[in-house]
Amino acid sequence: MTQSRLLKRFIPAAAAVAVAGLALSGCTAHSASKASSSADTLKTLTVQAPFLSAAPPAKDNEIGTRLEKILGVKLDINWVPNSSYEDKTNITLAGSDIPDVMVIQGKDPGFVKNAQAGAFWNLTKYLKDYPNLVTNSPAVQHASSVNGQVYGIYRPRDEMRTAVMLRKDWLDKLGLKVPKTTEDLYNVAKAFTEDDPDGDGKKDTYGIVVPKWPGPIGSNSPWDAIETWFGSGNLWTKQGGKLVPSYTTDNWKKALDFEKKLVSNGYVNPDFATMDSVNWNTPFMDGKGGIIIDTYSRARQINGLLEKSDPQNYQKYVAVTGNLIGPDGTMHALPTAGYSGFLSIPKSSVKTEAQLRQVLAILNKLNSKKAQVLINNGIEGKNFTLVDGKAAAINPPTDESTQLTDTVKSYAQLGIAVNGEKFYDPKQPNAYDQAEYDHEEKMMNADLKHAVFNPAAAYVSDTYVMQGATLDNIIGDARIKYIAGQLDQNGLTAQIQRWRSSGGDTVIKEINALYKADKNK
Amino acid sequence: MAREVFRYNTRAGRAFDVANVIFLTIVGLVALAPFLFVLVRSFASEAELTARPFFLWPDHFDLSAYTVIFTTPSFTRAVITTVLVTAVGTVIQLLLTVTMAYPLAKRDLPGRNIILSLVVVTLVFSGGMIPTFLIVRNLGLLNTYWALILPLAINPFSLIIVKNFFQNLPAELEESAKVDGASELVVLWRIVLPLSKPILATFALFYAVGIWNDFMSPLLYLNDTSMWTLQMFLQQVTAATDLTTAQQVDPNYIPPSQGIKYAVIVIATIPVLIFYPFLQKHFAKGMLIGAVKG
Amino acid sequence: MSSTLTETSPAVPAPAPVTVRVPSLPPRKRRLWARMLRYRWLYLLLAPGVVYFAIFKYAPMYGAIIAFEDYVPFLGMSGSRWVGLAQFQRFFNDPDFFRLLGNTLILAGLSLVIAFPLTIIMALILNEMRLMVLKRTVQTLIYIPHFLAWTVVASLTYLLFAQGAGPLTHLLNAMLGTHIDFLSDPAWFRPIIVLQDIWKNTGWGTIIFLAALASVDQEQYEAAVIDGAGRFQRVWHVTLPAIRPTIIIMLILQMGQILNTGFEQIYLMTNSLNRQVADVFDTYVYFVGITQGAYSYATAVGLFKAVVGVVLILGANWLSKRFNQDGIF
Repeated sequence: MTQSRLLKRFIPAAAAVAVAGLALSGCTAHSASKASSSADTLKTLTVQAPFLSAAPPAKDNEIGTRLEKILGVKLDINWVPNSSYEDKTNITLAGSDIPDVMVIQGKDPGFVKNAQAGAFWNLTKYLKDYPNLVTNSPAVQHASSVNGQVYGIYRPRDEMRTAVMLRKDWLDKLGLKVPKTTEDLYNVAKAFTEDDPDGDGKKDTYGIVVPKWPGPIGSNSPWDAIETWFGSGNLWTKQGGKLVPSYTTDNWKKALDFEKKLVSNGYVNPDFATMDSVNWNTPFMDGKGGIIIDTYSRARQINGLLEKSDPQNYQKYVAVTGNLIGPDGTMHALPTAGYSGFLSIPKSSVKTEAQLRQVLAILNKLNSKKAQVLINNGIEGKNFTLVDGKAAAINPPTDESTQLTDTVKSYAQLGIAVNGEKFYDPKQPNAYDQAEYDHEEKMMNADLKHAVFNPAAAYVSDTYVMQGATLDNIIGDARIKYIAGQLDQNGLTAQIQRWRSSGGDTVIKEINALYKADKNK
Repeated sequence: MAREVFRYNTRAGRAFDVANVIFLTIVGLVALAPFLFVLVRSFASEAELTARPFFLWPDHFDLSAYTVIFTTPSFTRAVITTVLVTAVGTVIQLLLTVTMAYPLAKRDLPGRNIILSLVVVTLVFSGGMIPTFLIVRNLGLLNTYWALILPLAINPFSLIIVKNFFQNLPAELEESAKVDGASELVVLWRIVLPLSKPILATFALFYAVGIWNDFMSPLLYLNDTSMWTLQMFLQQVTAATDLTTAQQVDPNYIPPSQGIKYAVIVIATIPVLIFYPFLQKHFAKGMLIGAVKG
Repeated sequence: MSSTLTETSPAVPAPAPVTVRVPSLPPRKRRLWARMLRYRWLYLLLAPGVVYFAIFKYAPMYGAIIAFEDYVPFLGMSGSRWVGLAQFQRFFNDPDFFRLLGNTLILAGLSLVIAFPLTIIMALILNEMRLMVLKRTVQTLIYIPHFLAWTVVASLTYLLFAQGAGPLTHLLNAMLGTHIDFLSDPAWFRPIIVLQDIWKNTGWGTIIFLAALASVDQEQYEAAVIDGAGRFQRVWHVTLPAIRPTIIIMLILQMGQILNTGFEQIYLMTNSLNRQVADVFDTYVYFVGITQGAYSYATAVGLFKAVVGVVLILGANWLSKRFNQDGIF
């Protein structure tokens, strides 16, 4: 049979097969099938939440059972592996078994589209009726909103995590102090590279360790931190009553020159453009690089690793400090977004306002002290005890306590302590760790007073939704190329111009329009 | 006797053989090395893994990664589940493929070319994740193990290759059987299948590996975590678990020890490695000897 | 010269056709019905497979419709706004389109020209190995890399080629007298990708050829030897022709995948310094389509790739038939 006759027969055949297939299996594009009548009291709350550990909480675990008692409803939680949460969320929204409450991991364009299409309840005017759901940080809530409209109860996170950690033993050997300004940082990096801080007679050390950053610009990379310290803002900044991207400011260029100097003099690891961030700790622990600019969590992680390999002496290796003062003499501290996603309430499953209020009432109870302790600390006496008002893990750990602690990690994903943390801080296992922890908390709070928040955090520009990834790459790549010496000043300016003409200017316009229209700022 | 017949013993022949041995040994080692790398690192402690990016043997032999894994009850269950689903699934998928390939190997079967064209299209076109999910859901297959087997039951690529293989078998075999009064089914069962052992073994392996490595299907179709397969663990544990980005989601997150990542890779890979040698005996040469003569 | 396996030389006359009384049908139709009746059991065998394709492959194809919409998962396929060819226009008008096309085709071309023949050569070499123990062992070892996830492969690549510390970096730079950073230099991106590809997939690819080689009639070899063929000549005149059908069908099917470079491998090896040559359709679709929630756009690109794939497959098939070789049909 020739090809053309084949094709002629092909189309009706394909159509027939497709229709047969459809008929055999039925097809529903989208239908809400939760058969709950509007007047009933909610008996079971269905939830979709992510988990990060290797295994999800077991069915009928004790945390879950106790939580059900506190909330007064049965909990049907669908635990989804964090690595595939995005995919699963879209499948869920496209299907018909939509839960009552969904953890949404971020205000990404997919979510925004769904929210604006009516997938989720707009909670802006409802939250004030529930005392535990009224935020004590309106700035963070605003940042988590979509152009001022609140589509979910945000999950609070530490607002200030930026930290600089250095090899204390190297500082001591060279008689240096912990840096306070960016200029100090430069000098310490230089000394670490040139002055043989490990005393082995070889020039085998350098200053700052920076990996290939897995996120886009403005995701708290070490470069972002330096650029904020130089006063360029935080992704966006206010200039003359308008919002402009921080990479269009002069301070940003100054910061880039600083970074370029560090790299071209060899004070930064040579593979900063390619090193896998999974291996970030290795050069520091290995004695190759002496400075890491990241978060307090990493400092604690490194301390933990050092403790395991050298339990007697690990205190002498790591010095931690917070944000550094920029060349203009002021502290511009780089904060986090302050939240990590939120709990949203889909309209397809929670159909009426009455039902919405029932769900909000339950979430209100979720923020009671009892519930917060349960899902963030665990069960007193079984996996922690109260010492000095802090939760100390039970030592030595039993099977039960390990299980519970593991389970708690997943339930903590439901935490929405927007009006203040009522659960206990963890107690560190020994005096040194506790002192470090307290020291870090103090620095965090001090830096928070000088935090430079992203003024455009709440606004979703349509053009950015469409082209954000490409636009971000233009700037991100330009920055790395400039620092690596592959672009000169003109080249950098040209790339920024390219960003503008590829849609950047439109984004600036749209963001400013939203800024002007926003009455809640 | 064979050596003289095939004249292997020439000088060029021997030189070639020696070179071949050396070459293949190197190839084997290059292929094995990375796996050994992972294997060795699965027996090291976290501190050592961070401090030493590369080593041939750990300073301290540390079984903690494996103990953690095997004392997670859901993990052992997942291994058993995956083995069973793979075994049953492979048989079903191979059966469906062979029963569809054999008729399509007959060039004069009415409708054959249309069906083949439709199959070729599915090599590149696919409806996508969401529509397939909806179909599976409408068939009531959610939360069943059938959802791990049926949606990917026949791989169009495999189908075409198996069909071509059947097509290329000598027609005399079939003819002589038909003369003896055999029906189509008997020909398939008694003659074609035994001769197709290499190709059947190959695709048994391909399908088995496909099911074993599939993590999309359990993610999409299994909500009940007690039904999880091994790949779900593997994905979760080895997916980019960068501390900084993960801690934005969970501030208390401590990534699994690198040792656990390596151990999970080892555990997820070894069963398949063991499977292949069993199939190798079907790759023996000369299966057609005597078949044409007889 | 075609292989003996594809020639049909009936040793016995074909069996007499079954006569079917079908009143007043034209002769051609009668032959058609006759054949269908004769093959009735085959249709039974065929049925489950066809049903499978109908339900699980063709029925979901209605999902392609989202390429013509502005799809929002919540609104579903019937509720999303229709935009016609807008997504395709956006794709073809993207200033990066030709760069992506170029990068994708170059990688596909390199894979076809280098990795594909290497697979065949490896299969032949394995076939010629007479030390059975080594042969079986290496056969098992070479497909191990196929099972290591790309993240592991990427980590190992970093280890080997890391600037300054990587052993291969030292070696290659010493040999070439240069100071190249292989991981960030755009000129080395493609060679490293192809190397990774060869390492990971060659072993797996030999399996099919080994299966085909196992089916070669030993008598062919014996006949060739009697005719005075040496070892190399045997490979050239007996082995290769014997697996020619397999080679051709694999080549044709490969054509359909030409625009599918695979996302994970490329993504892991991409960085700010080599993005110019590293960006391919699959990574582009991931960033612009998936992370931005633009499913319609991603589907439109997918449709484009699929159309190109079908055209190439049918084209390759036609070419193959032209030269009297095997094809898909």
